[in-house]
Formats: sequence, structure tokens, C-alpha cells
Amino acid sequence: MVLYAFYIFDRHTECIYSKRWTPRPASSGKTRPHSGSSITTNGDAAPTRKPMSDSDDQKLIFGLVFSLRNMVQKLGGEDDTFLSYRTAEYKLHYYETPTRMKFVMLTDTKQNNLRPYLHQIWANLYVEYVVKNPLAPVEHPGGIGVANELFERGLETFIMAVLPA
Amino acid sequence: MVVFALFVISKAGGLIYNREFHSGLIKLSSNDLLMLAGSFHGMHAITKQLCPTPPTSANTSGNTVLAPSPFVSRPTGIEVLETSHFRVQCFQTQTGTKFLLFTEPQQPNIDSMMRKIYELYADFVMKNPFYTVEMPIRCEKFDRGLDGFVKVRS
Repeated sequence: MVLYAFYIFDRHTECIYSKRWTPRPASSGKTRPHSGSSITTNGDAAPTRKPMSDSDDQKLIFGLVFSLRNMVQKLGGEDDTFLSYRTAEYKLHYYETPTRMKFVMLTDTKQNNLRPYLHQIWANLYVEYVVKNPLAPVEHPGGIGVANELFERGLETFIMAVLPA
Repeated sequence: MVVFALFVISKAGGLIYNREFHSGLIKLSSNDLLMLAGSFHGMHAITKQLCPTPPTSANTSGNTVLAPSPFVSRPTGIEVLETSHFRVQCFQTQTGTKFLLFTEPQQPNIDSMMRKIYELYADFVMKNPFYTVEMPIRCEKFDRGLDGFVKVRS
């Protein structure tokens, strides 16, 4: 069981908490010279862009789950919810609270659906240690008040307990 | 066993084939479907970017690699998307064409179905001398082949 990353987004599209367990892979800029023919390439752009930072990742993930959620609701109806997607390398799990907060977890591909665990993280950790904290602001611009010691430690022990390595 | 629909998206992100087998998904206008296909194409590319591990090269398993693979090993994009009402299997060919198969959440054997559909596509679309690549697929034999195949399965 490998965990790659965990993100919380608030309803204003902002990433208020993020944790990565693995470093970003150094994007290897090795590219082969491509022939310009459009028939022989498969539509992939050559990976020549500069490496992305963590905040770029956060924005990409938010945009991605937001559009996937909209696509799913368009196809399956209003009561359909997006649960997860899997590629050959990783799996992304998604949970959205009624207040439009989004919990996203990236794991390896063998993991079953983590939605119940993400719900527990929200109910038992986020609500307990962040929402009920009298010193935390109502909104969390820039992640203020989320990454407090109790929440961090709770998250750590929760993950150790329910998702053994 | 319910297969809702099949979409084929060209490597440029255009919807070149869509077919509904069972109702169950919301009916969308063809404009909406085109938009959906385009945005899926983009999201597929983003999921490749987000890969948290370096892609494992396919030919590192054996020590004796006879010839280098002609294909650069890149992370793959979305393969399976799960929602509470349906499940989307996405298969991307080496040339970048994507097949999206919408099924029930608990559909078994989607891989073999996908392979069969790809076979039908290769036989009746790619080998059709009147078909232009990247253009909407209008091949009666492909339609009939899919019909027969999906009806037998369900």
C-alpha cells in the first residue's frame, strides 16, 4: 500500500491542506526529436515544459476533479457522484462534503475505494480539530488554521491505523 | 450486465463515434457530447502530467533486452473512472485514439470486451478503404458488429 499525496480543497477552489509522502519525480526532459508528421505521432505533446511546482500540481488536481465531477453529473444525473479514477501508475480517490469541500487522495493502483476513509478524515479529524478550533478562522485562505498539530498528528495516526503499509 | 455507450475520441480530441446501447445515461445533445469528448481528452492529458511516480518501462523486466522499444514509455492517462452510477473504461491505442466504454459499476471482463471492440474497429473501420482517418466513423459493418457483440453479451 503506497500513499502518494493528500489534498483538501475548500469551496473557493483553494488548496487548504496538502501533504505529499513521495517527492515529485524529477521530470526527465529527455525528448526524442519528433518528425513533424501528424500521422506518426499519437497526439501527445513532447514533454518539454519546465517542471511543475507543488502549487501547480494542486491547481491541476483541483481543475481536474472539478471537471470530472461536472462531467459525471452531466452524464449520470445530479445525484451521481464521482468516486475515483485509476491510471496504470496511480489511483485518485475523491470525496466531497455537502459544503463542497473536496478531499483528494492519491494512492497506488491496488487500493480499493477510499471514500469511507476520506469521509472519516473529514468527520473525525477535520471537523474535530479544525472546525471546532475556536482560534481557526471560518474560511482558511492560504490554509491558515488547518495544519495544526492535533490535525497533523491525528491524520498521521489515522493513516497508520487504517491504511497499514 | 449493462453496457451503456461507446465513444471513440480521435487523437485530436474530437468525438468520431458515439453509440448508445442501453439508456441509463442522461441524453445529451451532440454539441454537449462533442464538448464532453474534448474535455475528457484534456483531462486525460492532465492525469498523465500528475503521475506521482516515474513510469515503469515495460522492458525492464528481463535483463536481455533485444531491441529498444520504439515507443517512449510515458505514464498512461485515465484507464478506469468510477462513479456511483456507472464506470468508464478508457483504452488508448498506440496512435492516440481513445475508446470510452460506459458500463454498470460492477461489469466484469471489460478488458476482453475492449479488446474485441478494438478488433472490430481494426477490421471494419481501419480496413475500410473509404474511411478517412480522424473523420467520423460511418461504417455499417462496425455498427452491426458492435450490436451483435454487445447483444450477445447482455
